[in-house]
Amino acid sequence: MKIRSPFELAIIAVLVAGIAAMCPLARAQKTAPSRKANALAVKSDTVPVTTTSKEARDDYELGLSHREDLLYTEEGIDFFRKSIKADPHFALGHATLAFFTTDPSEEVRELALAKANVAHAAPNEKLLILWMTGTKNGQLIPAIAAINDLLAKYPNDKRLANMYGEWLLGAQENYNQAAKVLEKILKNDPDYYPALNNLAYSYALGGRAELAPPLMDQYVAALPGQPNPQDSYAEILRMLGDFPDALDHYRTALRIAPTFFTSQVGIASTYALMGDEERARFEYLKAIDMAKERTDRMDYRILWAMTYFRENRPGLARKAFAEVAAEAHKQNLPIEEAECHRDTALFNPDPESATNDLDAASAVMADKRHILVGTRESELAKILQARSFIAVRAGDVDAARKALEGLNSMAQTNRDNAVQDAYHSANGAVMFLQGDYSGAISELEEDPRDPLTLQLLADAESKAGQTADAQKTLKTLAAINDETVEMAVVVPPVRAALKSNGSPSAQETSH
Amino acid sequence: MKRFRFLILSILLVACASVAFATDFAVIVHPSNATKAISLADLGKILREKTTNWPSGRGITVVIRDPNSPAMKFLIEKAMGGTAEDGKAILNEERRKPAASVIFVPTDEDIVKAVETNPTAIGIVDVYNITSGVKVIRIDDKQPFDPGYALKGH
Repeated sequence: MKIRSPFELAIIAVLVAGIAAMCPLARAQKTAPSRKANALAVKSDTVPVTTTSKEARDDYELGLSHREDLLYTEEGIDFFRKSIKADPHFALGHATLAFFTTDPSEEVRELALAKANVAHAAPNEKLLILWMTGTKNGQLIPAIAAINDLLAKYPNDKRLANMYGEWLLGAQENYNQAAKVLEKILKNDPDYYPALNNLAYSYALGGRAELAPPLMDQYVAALPGQPNPQDSYAEILRMLGDFPDALDHYRTALRIAPTFFTSQVGIASTYALMGDEERARFEYLKAIDMAKERTDRMDYRILWAMTYFRENRPGLARKAFAEVAAEAHKQNLPIEEAECHRDTALFNPDPESATNDLDAASAVMADKRHILVGTRESELAKILQARSFIAVRAGDVDAARKALEGLNSMAQTNRDNAVQDAYHSANGAVMFLQGDYSGAISELEEDPRDPLTLQLLADAESKAGQTADAQKTLKTLAAINDETVEMAVVVPPVRAALKSNGSPSAQETSH
Repeated sequence: MKRFRFLILSILLVACASVAFATDFAVIVHPSNATKAISLADLGKILREKTTNWPSGRGITVVIRDPNSPAMKFLIEKAMGGTAEDGKAILNEERRKPAASVIFVPTDEDIVKAVETNPTAIGIVDVYNITSGVKVIRIDDKQPFDPGYALKGH
């Protein structure tokens, strides 16, 4: 656990105690000595947790309270790791770690261990394991059925419902359904703060941004001594383009908890969005030092390298990305390694050279390493989508078709949003190049959040004579404030062009 | 909250015609129903009451949301063909009411509950509302989340 100050420890101890008090099952089963006894336990308000080890159970509960309730993500994941170390046959512990970890190797290993140990779990606990593992291995229909069964059996398990809402929000990007689940929790307990946080994001991302700030005020008031409410508020303000207030909230979060690294990276990204790249790099380096998970550190290094592209210093940017890619290779982080090449390609103004960058990204993914097929295909889809954008820039319909062929074959079997969105986007790119603007619009609308797709959509709308729609799409694009490479590539020139009353084209975008 | 790696977290400040969030609709039956798959055309026939019995000979009961709800507009147009208004008129025909071959309920949860308890029922719900008490059947040989699934709506 990476919480250093006694003050922080005291606050967390008090909160965790409070949270434990809200979890009758966790209390009741702490005294249960065996798996058999657990299976016979009196039905509680929460899903059973079956382990022979009190230490494993306590660590599991601490993991949930840190990861889910207070959003101390690294500490939470560490507690899950401790829990399965204490009881290697703890199936729910393995499934939960697989569900939350950001480390692809750990994800693969823990999914296998959850499956191998599932016989030890209680019947309802098996449903939770089925949901967690099903979301990871593409078995979504039984997974959804399982979580809905559980929610019906445990209508008072707020944490379970919040976890489902969070999954709908983050992994499924189904903001309306997420809001529905989270609103139901808050109807019964208006002060349940994890749901306040997730509901604010559901509203903000689902087109009801005006409803988010009041929830954030409530969230901050509910947890005055915690950093995440400030961090979340900051992120929502940043998305709304209010950078000074976002910085204030991020700094407040860090004053509360100096090790809350997501607020540190939030400060860095806010400076990057404000155009102060030198300050952004300085702040990213602090975030890299603070983060403990190797994937987080590598992700922040990518953001650090991207600042050179943001300030139009391509030589330094390529050098920085090459160094990060080499380090990712050394650390066996192929997704991050491939992303470095892909990001470099998207900023590369020369289509031939950009294609070489993407070849390097594809080569990384071709190298067999321990990552889930779904994770690999998700990155491969992004690489192919990038190929189709580069093809549009070059006006190369054959290259666009080739990228589409790859995506088409992947999309036949992979239901992941990233794969499906990339397929529709690439199909739209081919249609655009063939002059079928109406068909292109229809396909590009299937990927409504990717700035690269939105820019091509605006082009297609413009060429189809839908000038008002094109302007709307460009204004939507110009309002995006996030730290992704897609935003960094597309949005600044769109803003500049809108300022000078022009209409930037996807075929012109490159730095 | 930054729990999702480099997710595009964009507040859409400007309403854009292109921004819509897709959901897949699941066609559900009672688990005891032997039917595993039907075509979209067959689903249309059931909704139009051109097909009234399951292969077992038992009568079909359709359980759906109010045809005036936004989700049903898409489903009616997709499965029944024609306009939503035509579809609504067919679903609301007086002659269907005595036999209760179509039941309208307010929510997806109500549809799921009705199908869970009625071996002859068929319902259509947002896939995120299914339970293990119902069976999801394939439409045109595809199930929800499959690429190219026919009942992927907005």
